Amino acid sequence: MFKHSLSLVVFKKEFLESIRDKRVILGVIISPLLVTPLLMGTILFFAGKKEIEKRQAIIDIGIVENGSFSELTNWLEERESTKTSHFPTKEEASQAIQDRTIRAAIVVSKDAQTQYQANGSAALEILFNASNENSINGLSRAQRLIRQFDEFALEKRIRAESLPESFASPTEIETTNLATSKSTGSLVLGMILPYLIVISAAFGGIQTAFDLCAGEKERGTMETLLVSPASREELVRGKLLTILLISLIASLCAITGILAPLAFGLELFKDLVGDQISFDLLSILWMLLLVIPLALFTSSLLLVISSFARNQKEAQTYILPFISVVLLPAILSSVLGAESNIYTAFIPVLNISLTMKQIFGNLSEPLYFAISLSTSLLYAYLAMRLATALFQREQILFRT
Amino acid sequence: MGDPLFFLESRPQYRLSQGPSHLLQSVIAAENLTKTFRDKKRGLVRAVTDVSFHCQPGEIFGLLGANGAGKTTTLRMLATLLEPTKGSATIAGYDIGSHPQDVRRSIGFLSGSTALYGRLTAKEMIRYFGQLNGITGSTLQQHTNELIEQLEIGEFQDGRCDKLSTGQKQRVSIARSIVHSPPVMIFDEPTSGLDVMTSQTIMAFIEQCRSDGLTVVFSTHIMSEVERLCDHVAIVHHGKIAAEGTVPELRSQTGESAMENVFLKVVNELEAENV
Repeated sequence: MFKHSLSLVVFKKEFLESIRDKRVILGVIISPLLVTPLLMGTILFFAGKKEIEKRQAIIDIGIVENGSFSELTNWLEERESTKTSHFPTKEEASQAIQDRTIRAAIVVSKDAQTQYQANGSAALEILFNASNENSINGLSRAQRLIRQFDEFALEKRIRAESLPESFASPTEIETTNLATSKSTGSLVLGMILPYLIVISAAFGGIQTAFDLCAGEKERGTMETLLVSPASREELVRGKLLTILLISLIASLCAITGILAPLAFGLELFKDLVGDQISFDLLSILWMLLLVIPLALFTSSLLLVISSFARNQKEAQTYILPFISVVLLPAILSSVLGAESNIYTAFIPVLNISLTMKQIFGNLSEPLYFAISLSTSLLYAYLAMRLATALFQREQILFRT
Repeated sequence: MGDPLFFLESRPQYRLSQGPSHLLQSVIAAENLTKTFRDKKRGLVRAVTDVSFHCQPGEIFGLLGANGAGKTTTLRMLATLLEPTKGSATIAGYDIGSHPQDVRRSIGFLSGSTALYGRLTAKEMIRYFGQLNGITGSTLQQHTNELIEQLEIGEFQDGRCDKLSTGQKQRVSIARSIVHSPPVMIFDEPTSGLDVMTSQTIMAFIEQCRSDGLTVVFSTHIMSEVERLCDHVAIVHHGKIAAEGTVPELRSQTGESAMENVFLKVVNELEAENV
């Protein structure tokens, strides 16, 4: 009883100190709850705005034709989204693209009209500058326009030959989507959220972990603490519980930072998840449950690093392998499908991330879930034992 | 500021009957304490070799030595922070090897390098160490309030430790080290890096501990502190006790009157023997 209460005493003190640390408040609460949604919203807003502008903008397209394909040029000139300029030579059109007075130019071959009228293919060339984003946009607009002209011309040819309209379409495809817009939204969320939760749970505890051990050594408070009657195990448990709780808060804030704007139905985010934005509360609860063994594992690893390091600066140099251990499986999980090989259930971080993905995809795989959960708990236990063992070693604790 | 340590007069006196009967004479008994460690550059290093000494109740025992002599390692072994490679010690009747937690509960530890938690207030700091020593509820409240009042911490009790002056921090450190009323105090170069005024507070505190019957082990390399405080002195050099006795005894043994000369003579004789 006394042992447990001392762990609790250490935990309460460490947590109090952690939440008074401005760096923790900024990184764990303010950033994911305010900065991330604001940043995402701003990026999506401007990206969307630019896309709309790109689609609606009237673009300047040059034509080098010299009367050889009037049917095309007349058709182009009738388009409201296009402003055409005629150039006598290809060189002059090229210069205009380089000078950015036009975005792209269509060069019509001399026998284009003849080929066209003989039901052949009129040779066209599009000039553009790949180092200019507007010119690339001009290329795609010119290609789209020519495809539209092709449809228009094909329709005319079919009519002239008295052929049925189906002549140009040997097959007719109709697609039926069995997913509800809710499950479509879940799929998108399932791709984003596990990655986000894993990253936030793992990285949310870094500052606290470094402060609790390496920071104590650096500031000279470690000796004061070690001379108290609390055992090394009690100290490790108290510190670990603090890192775990901070990591879980970080994760919760990250989830809230993403889901809250969706729940409020912001138009900006709506495009990401389909027409109807909704998510299963039960799935969220499962994810919160799954994040506990994951956060316990990453918190223990962070405590190992922090116990080993002489000071916080040194701890930061040891963080690179930790980032790899967390980041690579997290990235992999967003690429891999939810129906993954059972062996992946043994890989730390990846297993929890994929299990979360399965939950969001309404994919029930009890065996995968059981292996994933039990191995994660085992890894967390082993990392915890390692942290405790390091805390027993006086060479480590008194390294300065 | 009045005498910041008068509160000690009202504290319960340490009773010898708290320890086992065979140790009634020595509150601290160190026998052949030895500590070796492996260093990448120097190989096997003997930091402390066969250090033995006994401290009687209400006595201030000084470990006098130069930097790197082995004083801190010896005190860290007594405080169970380091495990001896060889030898043993008992504090207040508890063996440092088999009952480390009881030993830690019986000691107050203060060194010049021990710091405070910057984001805790002075009051929270005292309460935290009281709780770590198993004091709870109204007893903790009473101990904390008494220390705050008697060490005149009241005006900055709710101020964060990182905002306190050196003198204020030192008063909180004292309160932190005695909140659980330990029978033994261990001081490891407690005045290191402190100004004269703050050093005087610490010295007065050590004297008050003796007056209250606490047993004190105290390490220093400052001769004037030894002359003023220590009832018994052990001169430590290269991890070994080179000479031991009261200050008058050491003076008599070496034929020197100034403590600095006493120290140098003992150390030089040992060096000559080693050569």
